[in-house]
Amino acid sequence: MFTHTPLRLATLALLAAASLTYALAAGFFGLEILAEIAILAILVIALDLVAGFGGMVSLCHGALMGVGAYAFTVAANDAGLTALPAMILAVALSTALAFAIGAVCARSTGIYFIMATLAFGQMAYSFVFQSPLFGGDDGLSGAPRPDMTALGIDLSDSRTFAIYALLLVALAYAIATATLRSGLGRSLVCLHHNEKRLRALGLTVWRAKATAFAISGALAGVAGCLAAQHTQYVSPGLLSWTVSGEALVVVILGGLGTLIGPILGAILFVILKHEISSITPYWHAIVGLILIAVVMSRAQGVFGFIEARMAARKPQAQIKKVKADA
Amino acid sequence: MKTTIRAALAGLATSTFMLSAAYAEDIKIGMLLPYSGVYAALGQDIDDAFALGLETFGADSGVTFDIIREDDEVKPPVGLAKTKKLILQDEVDVMVGIVSSGVLGAIRDTVDDAGLPLIVANAGNDEATGEACSPYITRISFSNAQVNRPMGQWLMDQGVNKIFTIAPDYAAGRQMIDAFTTAFTAAGGEVVGQEWPAFQKTQDFGPFLANAKASGADAVYVFFAGGEAISFVKQYDSFGLKAELPLYGSGFLTSALYVEAQGSAAEGVITALHYVPTLDNPENAAFVAAFRERTGRIPSEYAVHGYDSARALVEAVKAGATDRETLAAALPKVAFTGPRGDLRIDPATNNIVQPIHVYETVSGPEGLTQKVLATLPAEADPANGCEMPAVN
Amino acid sequence: MTTDLGFWVLQTLNALQLSMLLFLLSVGLTVIFGLMHFVNLAHGSLYAFGAYIAATLSGTLGYWGGFLLAPVAVAALGAGLYFSLIRSQRRAGPMAQVLVTFGLIFVAVDATRLVWGDLPIGIAMPAILDGQIALLGVDYPLYRLFIIALGLAILAVLTLVLTRTQVGAMIRAGVDNDQMAACLGINVERMFFLVFVVGCALAGLAGAVAAPVLSVTPDMGLQILIPTLIVIVIGGLGSLRGAVAGSLIFGFVQTFGAVLLPTFSAVLIYALLAAVLVTRPEGLLPAKG
Repeated sequence: MFTHTPLRLATLALLAAASLTYALAAGFFGLEILAEIAILAILVIALDLVAGFGGMVSLCHGALMGVGAYAFTVAANDAGLTALPAMILAVALSTALAFAIGAVCARSTGIYFIMATLAFGQMAYSFVFQSPLFGGDDGLSGAPRPDMTALGIDLSDSRTFAIYALLLVALAYAIATATLRSGLGRSLVCLHHNEKRLRALGLTVWRAKATAFAISGALAGVAGCLAAQHTQYVSPGLLSWTVSGEALVVVILGGLGTLIGPILGAILFVILKHEISSITPYWHAIVGLILIAVVMSRAQGVFGFIEARMAARKPQAQIKKVKADA
Repeated sequence: MKTTIRAALAGLATSTFMLSAAYAEDIKIGMLLPYSGVYAALGQDIDDAFALGLETFGADSGVTFDIIREDDEVKPPVGLAKTKKLILQDEVDVMVGIVSSGVLGAIRDTVDDAGLPLIVANAGNDEATGEACSPYITRISFSNAQVNRPMGQWLMDQGVNKIFTIAPDYAAGRQMIDAFTTAFTAAGGEVVGQEWPAFQKTQDFGPFLANAKASGADAVYVFFAGGEAISFVKQYDSFGLKAELPLYGSGFLTSALYVEAQGSAAEGVITALHYVPTLDNPENAAFVAAFRERTGRIPSEYAVHGYDSARALVEAVKAGATDRETLAAALPKVAFTGPRGDLRIDPATNNIVQPIHVYETVSGPEGLTQKVLATLPAEADPANGCEMPAVN
Repeated sequence: MTTDLGFWVLQTLNALQLSMLLFLLSVGLTVIFGLMHFVNLAHGSLYAFGAYIAATLSGTLGYWGGFLLAPVAVAALGAGLYFSLIRSQRRAGPMAQVLVTFGLIFVAVDATRLVWGDLPIGIAMPAILDGQIALLGVDYPLYRLFIIALGLAILAVLTLVLTRTQVGAMIRAGVDNDQMAACLGINVERMFFLVFVVGCALAGLAGAVAAPVLSVTPDMGLQILIPTLIVIVIGGLGSLRGAVAGSLIFGFVQTFGAVLLPTFSAVLIYALLAAVLVTRPEGLLPAKG
């Protein structure tokens, strides 16, 4: 169901080339922005996987990312693990948590599903905030970056780190497409269209949903580890529902259900945020207005719009955009 | 993306230009404050007073000051990104600001590794001049413990033997109250109960007030700031507790910045802070007058942080500092008499040493004002795990 | 932990007061959802506007001026929102509604900052209600009793309207099955508008009433949003009884939890929410069966 049309391949190639060039040419602040974009891109790929393709709109992905970030920091600082095993542990934790949430919420649909994920996300947020183990409001500092000096790579250098982040984005994208192409991925998309039919065909629906959610949670955990490694500091704000909300905004801006759209959305959102906030301290309002405009125009986000226009030009072979009617 | 590439290339070009320009006699200052969000008012106070301070004291220093302002949005990752920009792209000689302890925690290592002097103009968490101290970080504002500790003995001297504490459950709240209770019990007092309402989640303090009332304490000692302080003081008054159970606390409870919003509920509340606008000394009179003329507002303790940061920087420059290393060496050595009184920096922690003023909020001709009851002598903070290496 | 009766009376009154405040907020939101299937995340922002407008008006017109006019102002704002955004997004599905109202929250927060500044503002309590009254052995603030009384009064009025008037019957029919109600000749669109505007007015009233007790800050809308959502989800979507039940549950769990089990109280309420969502997603006392 998820195919790489020429348009998508072209966009991917363009994105790869542009980001690599930028990584090599940019100044220090530009590299910071690039890393920020990469972290957001991984998170929104994770979200689009379940929300765009599976129709499971989640407001807990910020919390999953935060869990990954905190698990990584605690594992590296307190348990004394080096970066790579700490990452594996953190991702395992966020995966398990996502599986649990997906399983428990499997029977809920529509607005109830959204609110259930919101509830679980807030539970995680409150837990981390209250717990003295996690430093409370002051957060935890000292998360290490992976030590790749054996390979001759120094990740404390901004440029190398930015390229490492971009590679992780590519990895996340590959995992997402592989999932979508697999049996699970096809089940996921079909679940979105007609759950009853699949259940009648003998699929264990809750397990499919939970597994898909788990993979999404794994990617969110990777985003969290990357976030922790980037700033080398974590705070409870990472788990807030507004982060999940912003991720959803980015997915919509970019194009729900296209996987590439959200990446574009991430780039647009971060740049927009920085540009607008340097002009006015009221940039929240502007982002809000843009969001309202995008949703009300029923355009499918930037990339969705482009795809629709390209499809309209072709006389035959329409790329059907199936609307999510969650 | 194009605009950012252009901006990045422009940044590279400008920084090269600036490198050559830096040989001229000017000091580049990076101001990192919240200019948006709920703390924007604090950031604005610090910024206005800092500019005022530079004009007042820096005019005859023979040096020009360039200020580059960045908004940290009270978010640690944003603060960190902007810090890196100021250090690496703008190549500032010194950084001033930081309202939130969270942001300070995030940028501490970056500032320390880069050897960039940082004047902390607000963030009060004890670790910044404790375990996480750095020879490059000089705090001109206050530490959470410093503002509360002297009240322990003072309350005992007033005849208060049993105290009940309430503060929000987060790092700053805990530090403030723990400093107080340690001093209070050391002076012979008894803490009969403590409540820790959830930080920024609690709007109704009624349940905690009921507990305080039932505890048999002589008085209540609290820490709250901002919107929570307003709610708390008003609710305390609405329960009619002040008569039998006097309210004391850390001065942020009735800060000049928002005490008017509390109205008559704040009258009679006695708190301690390192600065109130009614301090009676010539430096403060000049400061208050100049600040009012410039902004139309009465300065708050946040403003005086900005003002004194500017003074400290100018003193360092007058002592001959011109770049990062010399500034880092000179800043911990400044000492002067400012609106707060005699100030100096403790070389063991790089934290400020200042007197603490106990005051009562009373009604005055122009609204609520602060009546200073006592000035407690300056006391350096204990080292708290700070091992200060020498600045090379 | 005290066995003092006064302590329990005090806490019960506190819990009731919190419940009534949340009831004013949640009743509007839950009927809007039950009838229009529209989830309005910006409801909290309407509450904030009510508080700010009341604070501003009370400067010139006194507390009661603000009390009466703030709900009207917020209702007008709600009417504007209805025609510009809500009506078109009503059938667009929950995700679109979540996003549009999320965008509204952003705009609202910055709008309040723009107009009223970043500093928290205060509003004086009305002189009549300033003071305490001795009740069941404790001195309880008169103003909080006023909140409880107001909440109960509104509950009584709404119950009366919904059960004894024709408009109420039409609303209940619409909540049950809006398409059938339309077939029966009920002007469903007008009903939606009416319900939405009244819901907004109640949110504004809640803001005006809460302002003297809490402080008025730009993020007060966000802070009250999650509790409100918890209330309507636990209580049951679309019904008055659900709003009452949810408010009481939340008010009591929160108040007693905060003093008896402080470390768990925050997680407890979310765990309760999750449990309800998973086992009875419609809530405890929903409008429909």
